[in-house]
Amino acid sequence: MQLHPRHFGRDLRDKLVSKLMKDVEGTCSGRHGFIVAITGIESVGKGLIRDGTGFVTFPVKYQCVVFRPFKGEILEAVVTMVNKMGFFAEAGPVQIFVSNHLIPDDMEFQSGDVPNYTTSDGSVKIQKESEVRLKIIGTRVDATEIFCIGTIKDDFLGVISDPGANA
Amino acid sequence: MRRLRLVLLVSLYFIVDGGAEIPDEDGARREYRHRLLPQEDQEEDLEERTRSIQQRYARSAHVEYDEEATDVEQQALLPSVRDPKLWMVKCAIGQERKVAVCLMQKAIDRGPELQIRSVVALDHLQNYIYIEADKEAHVREACKGMRDIYTANVKLVPIKEMTDVLMVESKAVDLARDTLIRMKTGTYKGDLAMVVHVDDMGQKVIVKLIPRIDLQALANKLEGREVTKKKAVIPPPRLMNIDEARVLNICVERKRDMRTGDYFDNIGSMSFRDGFLYKSVAMKSISTQNIHPTFDELERFRRPGESGDGDMASLSILFANRKKGRFMKGDRVIVVKGDLRKMEGHVEKVEEDTVHIRPNQKGLPVETLAFSDKEIRKHFEPGNHVKVICGSSEGATGIVASVEGHVVNLVSDTTKEPLSVFADNVVLSSEVTSGLTRIGEYELHDLVILDNKSFGVIIRVDSEAFQVLKGVPDRPDVALVRLREIKGKVEKRGNAQDHFKNQLAVKDVVKVIEGPCKGKQGHVEHIFRGVIFIYDRHHLEHAGFICTKTQSCVVIGGSRANGDRNVCLTPHRAPQSPMRSSRGGPPMNYGGRHRGGRGHDALVGVDVKIRLGTFKGCKGRVVDIKGTSVRVELEAQMKVVTVDRNHIVNSVNMSTPFCETPSHPSKTPLRSFMTPMRDPGAAPIHDGMRTPMRDRAWNPMSPPRDSWEDGNPASWGSSPQYQPSSPRSSAYEAAPTPGSGWTSTPSANAPSQYLPSTPGGQPPMTPSSAYVPGTPGGQPMTPGSGALDMMSPLGGGDTEGPWLLPDILVNVRKSNDDTVTGVVREVLADGSCSVALRSSGSGDTIIAHATEIEIVVPKKSDKIKIIGGPQRGSTGKLIGVDGTDGIVKVDDTLDVKILDMVILAKLANA
Repeated sequence: MQLHPRHFGRDLRDKLVSKLMKDVEGTCSGRHGFIVAITGIESVGKGLIRDGTGFVTFPVKYQCVVFRPFKGEILEAVVTMVNKMGFFAEAGPVQIFVSNHLIPDDMEFQSGDVPNYTTSDGSVKIQKESEVRLKIIGTRVDATEIFCIGTIKDDFLGVISDPGANA
Repeated sequence: MRRLRLVLLVSLYFIVDGGAEIPDEDGARREYRHRLLPQEDQEEDLEERTRSIQQRYARSAHVEYDEEATDVEQQALLPSVRDPKLWMVKCAIGQERKVAVCLMQKAIDRGPELQIRSVVALDHLQNYIYIEADKEAHVREACKGMRDIYTANVKLVPIKEMTDVLMVESKAVDLARDTLIRMKTGTYKGDLAMVVHVDDMGQKVIVKLIPRIDLQALANKLEGREVTKKKAVIPPPRLMNIDEARVLNICVERKRDMRTGDYFDNIGSMSFRDGFLYKSVAMKSISTQNIHPTFDELERFRRPGESGDGDMASLSILFANRKKGRFMKGDRVIVVKGDLRKMEGHVEKVEEDTVHIRPNQKGLPVETLAFSDKEIRKHFEPGNHVKVICGSSEGATGIVASVEGHVVNLVSDTTKEPLSVFADNVVLSSEVTSGLTRIGEYELHDLVILDNKSFGVIIRVDSEAFQVLKGVPDRPDVALVRLREIKGKVEKRGNAQDHFKNQLAVKDVVKVIEGPCKGKQGHVEHIFRGVIFIYDRHHLEHAGFICTKTQSCVVIGGSRANGDRNVCLTPHRAPQSPMRSSRGGPPMNYGGRHRGGRGHDALVGVDVKIRLGTFKGCKGRVVDIKGTSVRVELEAQMKVVTVDRNHIVNSVNMSTPFCETPSHPSKTPLRSFMTPMRDPGAAPIHDGMRTPMRDRAWNPMSPPRDSWEDGNPASWGSSPQYQPSSPRSSAYEAAPTPGSGWTSTPSANAPSQYLPSTPGGQPPMTPSSAYVPGTPGGQPMTPGSGALDMMSPLGGGDTEGPWLLPDILVNVRKSNDDTVTGVVREVLADGSCSVALRSSGSGDTIIAHATEIEIVVPKKSDKIKIIGGPQRGSTGKLIGVDGTDGIVKVDDTLDVKILDMVILAKLANA
C-alpha cells in the first residue's frame, strides 16, 4: 500500500485504512475473487520509502469478505440480457453466460420486443430481469473480472421469479 | 487352370518387384494372363515348370516379407533378354479391360495354341494394352479376329522399361461410403461431396452434393425456350426444393433406384433426394486428399431434422485424412468405436497411428490400451477452458458450453460469441486470448482510415483480413478489409462535444440518448470527425462497439475525477479543456484546427513535471511525443519514461515564484485578445469554453497595477486603444484559436522572454501586426486588485489566474466603499455576474461587473471552492492557513492540498 508523504502524521493509520478501502473494495483478484468489503485490519507493517518519489509502501494485512464463484456452485442471478445465443445474468459483480446449449431443450428463443426463452407451453419464461437459479460450470478469472458459464439444464434449476408474473 | 494360376504368380512378382502394394484381389482383377503350353506335355511340363518357377521366384516370396533384400537381389529378378518380351498393342479407348478379358477367354477356349503368356490392361493407360509373348508374331496371331484391337502397330517395350509398365504410380485410393471428397472439375469444382456408392469396376462413384441449380434457367431450358448463356455465374449451392421445381412446371419423376431401393426425384438426368443432388462421377474427377472440410460445409450436409448426434458420429469417418499428431500425451480422450465405446482415458503414448491410453476406470487388468487414432477422439467437459489450435478461429480461447459428438461448442472469452469447432482442433488451456489480435501495425480495436476516406474500428482480426465497424453513425456497417486496404491508423485522441455541449474525451463514459443505439452506455474509445465509438461490454454485436454521432450522447462520468459535470448549459464545466491544454500543452484539444501537429513539437524539450502515475512528482524534459503519450527524460533518475501527456505539467511555471510574475503579464495580452470573442455575436454556447479566459481578464483579483509595473515597467505604458469592446477586435473571433498562443506562452518563463513570445503567438490570431505591441491592451481589463503575492508557489496560478465560479461568496463593491456580501449565481458571458445579495443568497439578484466583485477570503474550516489551478471547480474544506497558502481537503478525492489562498473562495452556505 503506497502512501504519499503528505499523509504522514498522527492519523497516518486512518489514512492508510481509508485508502485501502478506497483502492481495494470492489476490485477483483484472480486468486481470491471479488473483494466485497474489508472487515478488519490485522497488521500494518513497517513502511518502506521509495527512492525518488518519497512514497512509502506499507505491507497491510487485512481481512475481507470476498466473492469467488466456483465450478459447480449454485447461484441465483438476475438476467441482464437475452439473445439467441443464450442469456447473460449477473450475480452481484459476476457476469454469467448461459448458452442456449445449456438451456433445457424445451425452451425456445422468442425474438421480438422483449427477447426471451419460453417453454413450448408458455408456462416458464426467461427474459430480462428474471431471476434464475443456475449452476456454474466454468469460470474464467482475469485480473479485473470474473466471467462464468452457467447452466440451467438440471433439476431444480431455472426461473425462480419472473418480473412479468409479479407485475 | 492350375497353370493359369502359376502365371498369375508371375504377374504378382512383377508387381512386387515394382514396389507397389496392390492387394491380391486387385491384382487378380487387373491382370489377366494366359499361358499357352503344348497340350501333350502338359503334365510333365507342369511339374518341371513348377519347379523352375519356384526356383526362379523363390526369392520373390522372400522379398515380399523381408525388407532387407539388397539391391543386388532385386536386380537379379529383373527381366533379362531370355525372358518373354512385353508388347504394347493399341486398342479402342475405354475397351482396354474388355479386350484383356476377351483375350483371356480366347486363351481358355483355344488352349495352348495361343502363344502369348499374359495380357495386362492398365487403368492409367488408355488406348493400349500390354501382351507378354516371346515373338511379335505370337501377339499378332492372338489378336487376329478380335474387335477393338489394332495390331497394325505393335511396339516392343524395351527391357529396361518393362518393370515401369507394371509399376503403380499412386497408391490405390480407398474410397468408402461416407468419405468426404472434393470435386475437381465442372460446376461443382471445389465443392464438398460425400461418397454414397463406389463402383470400382466402372471407376465411378456416386456422390451427394448440394445442388447449384438455377431453377429458373432449368425451367426455361426444359420448356425449350432460349437459354441465355451466362456460364460465368455459377449458381450458389442451395438444397433443392422439389415443390419449388414443380411450381416452375419442371417435370419431376419419382423413381426407385435399382441398387439402393431408395426413392429419387428425377429432373431430366439429375436425381435428387432430400434436397441433395446425387451424381455419378468418374473417380478421376474427384480429389480425396487434403479435404479439410470447414465446419460450415459440414453443417450444410446435415439434413434438417436429423439428429446431430448420429450424423456427427458418422462424420468421424471423414477424418480419414486428418493430420497426424492430433493427440498429445495427457490429452483426455473418449473411445468412440468398438467394444470399449464411451470409455474415457488419458493419452499415454502416441505412435504412428496407434494411441496408447490409460483408462480412467479402475480395476482393469491392463495399464494402457492401444487404439487406432480413428477410434478415439478428444473429450472435453462443459466448463473446460480451451484454446482452438487450428481452423478458422485458430488461437481463440473460450469455455466449453457443450459437446455434441465431434463438435465442441464454446463461448469465446473476448467476444462472448459461441463458436463451434471440432474437438480435434481444441486443447485445454488456461490462457486467455482473443485469437489473432494484430496484423502488421494494426491491432484489434484500433481506429483506422480505409481506402475510400471512410474510417472504422477494427472489431475482429481474421487470419488475413480485418472486420471493421465503419464510422457510419447509427447504422452498424461492418466491412471486411484487407491489410492493404487500410490507409493508416488514427492515433490522435479526438475531442468533441456531446449533446449538451459538454466536452467529451476518450475514456469518458457516455450514454447514447438518441438513435437506434439509444440507452447504450459505455466508455468512449475513439472520437473522429464527429463520430464516436463507444465500447459497451454488454453489447454483444461488433465486439461491443457502438458507433454514433457525438451529439447523440451525454457524458455521465469519466476518467476525470472532477465531479463538475453538468447536463445543462452552464459554462463552467467547460474551462477544463483550456486548463488541460495549457498544462499539458496539447493543442489537440482544440479539435481539427491543430491537427498539423505543430503543438507536438512545441512540447519537445520543455521541462515538465509529472503530476500523476508512477512517476508522479518527477521532473524532466520532454524528448519525444507519440500519440497521446510523451517520453520524458527524468532529471533525477537518468532514464526516459513514457507517460500520458495529460499527466504532465509544465513544471517551470509551477516551480518558482519568480517566474510567475513575468509569465502572468505575458498572459495579459492574450486575455485581451480573447476578449473580443465575447462579442455579442458569438453564441453563448460557443463561448462556453472561452468564458473562463475572459473571466480572468476581468478578474478583480488580479494584482494591482503598480505591482505589475514593477515587474515590467517598460511594457506597461498604458495605451487604451485595445479596449476589449472595440469593434475591430471582433476580427479576433475568426482567429484560429488561442491554442497556439497558449502553448507558446508557458515557455515564456523569464521576464525578458515574454515579449518576444507573445508576438509569436499573435500572428495567427491578429489581423495585423500592429497588435503586437498591444500588450498593454490587457491593462484596462485588470483593474487592480489582488496582489503579486497571489502568484505564489503551488498557487496553481500556473497559467491562469483565478476567476469566478457560481456559488462562491463575494463582496460586491458598489459605488464608493460600500460593499455588500452576495453569492454568485451565474457567471454571464461578458464576465459580469449575477449575484444574489446577502451571504445566504436570499436577497435580490443584481448584476455586478467583474471589477466590482471581490472574493471573500475564506477562513479556517470554511467550505471553499477552488477557483483556479488544476482543481478549479472542486470544493473542499479549508483546514488551515499558512501565510498565503491554504491547506485544503478536497471533497472529491479526499486529498489534502496546499493551495494559494487567492484561488480559494468561500462557498456560500447552500
